[in-house]
Amino acid sequence: MTRLHQFAFFDEGSKKEIRRTILKAISIPGYQVPFSSREMPIARGWGTGGLQVTLAIIGQEDVLKVIDQGSDESVNAVNIKKLVEKTTGVTITEKTAEATIIQSRHRIPEQTLTEGQVLVLQVPAPEPLRSVEKSERQTKILHAEEEYSGAWLQLFEQIMKYGQTNTGADHPVYVAGRYVMAPSPIPRFDNHKMNHSEALILLGAGREKKIYAVPPYTDVRSLAFEDYPFTVESFATEACHLCGATDTYLDEIIDADKDKVYYQCNDSHHCLERVNGVIEGKGDISYA
Amino acid sequence: MPLDYVHDTQAVFRKVMDCMAQPGKTNSLAKQMCQIDFPIDCYHSTFLTMMTLLDSEATFHIKGNHTSLVQRIAQLTLAKHVEESEADFIIITADLPQASLIDAIQSAKKGSLIDPQLSATIIIETSELSSGQEWLLSGPGIKKEKRVKLAYSQRINQAREEKNKEFPLGIDLVITDQVGKVICLPRTTVISEVSK
Repeated sequence: MTRLHQFAFFDEGSKKEIRRTILKAISIPGYQVPFSSREMPIARGWGTGGLQVTLAIIGQEDVLKVIDQGSDESVNAVNIKKLVEKTTGVTITEKTAEATIIQSRHRIPEQTLTEGQVLVLQVPAPEPLRSVEKSERQTKILHAEEEYSGAWLQLFEQIMKYGQTNTGADHPVYVAGRYVMAPSPIPRFDNHKMNHSEALILLGAGREKKIYAVPPYTDVRSLAFEDYPFTVESFATEACHLCGATDTYLDEIIDADKDKVYYQCNDSHHCLERVNGVIEGKGDISYA
Repeated sequence: MPLDYVHDTQAVFRKVMDCMAQPGKTNSLAKQMCQIDFPIDCYHSTFLTMMTLLDSEATFHIKGNHTSLVQRIAQLTLAKHVEESEADFIIITADLPQASLIDAIQSAKKGSLIDPQLSATIIIETSELSSGQEWLLSGPGIKKEKRVKLAYSQRINQAREEKNKEFPLGIDLVITDQVGKVICLPRTTVISEVSK
């Protein structure tokens, strides 16, 4: 094979800088370490942070899975996969358990990740305090002083207005009892998967030039009040129309022609495995 | 086969990253060590770690009298050799006494509350990892607690604790040995003596 580019797209200097940043991110869990985010062949805001992390850590032996909103086949995931595959030649998989590196946008896979796997999350807005303080210099000071009134106040205001916290995704978390962190726009349903995860979680924000991390077996607590405990999206009365799952994160799909609403697993691979009988879910249904 | 600066350093990085994510876990760089086909004045595992992490944007300090090694590393990585208190990476070779390590821990930069990442990583050579006194590790990256044998002393631990007392400020340790084993102890790891 004629190589038209460096392995994993980046020059070695870029990789080294990102690698040093990753090590610092791991040793200070939840703290956003600045790095000199590179120009990438995809637009900023389309997963350049996650992509840079993936390219800096990936090796020939790795097996990569890329998902976008739970799907292996949506456009962002496919493009990122193609780029990494072309520049590294690594094996690409859709199977969560087979992958050594999983790059994801907006979801943590349903299947529990295990020790040795690395989850790379794409982050559009890494600063949990940005909506209350627009100056980066100021938010850095707030993090330094562990002054998180802003984050609490935001939730408090939501409760005042709506009677509950209404963070659709990206519900802030406390990492290792020190830093408040944006878990990337994962649904609240996925927040608990970060707590004492067996896999290392690396988060990359390309446009905002930040990398941060949650090491395995680390306390990750979703911000909540004693009288308003943290709650996740509930699909108690619904089941996936394909696999029948009742314990997964479901998408609401509206069929305008038939004027019907139905629900489907958001994690496409997990759903397929259940339909094929590879994974048995708690809510197994009989088709007989 | 000579050292492959793309793939071998990638492999080394992943091992070190894994060690940093799971403090106390031992990984081996033995496979990559075999590729080094020239004499070098430190452990091959230390050399590989330096080759993986150093470039012209990073600074290092090799403690003790190691002029030729300093020159060699500067030549190969283009990293700048600076004073101990300013270095991003401090290297403590095996020939140095324990006092040098304590000295390095005390003078290493520990970052500021606004920029805790501007702190040093100390690479420590020890003749054989998984020998010596048993220590109890806990903190992020460790499931409950982990017992490891380290050539580490109460005095070193005190110096480290003193340096890391105000999290997120502190230093991260990478311990390498002769046969290629590596252990990392980030600032979050609490190290205590196993009570007998």
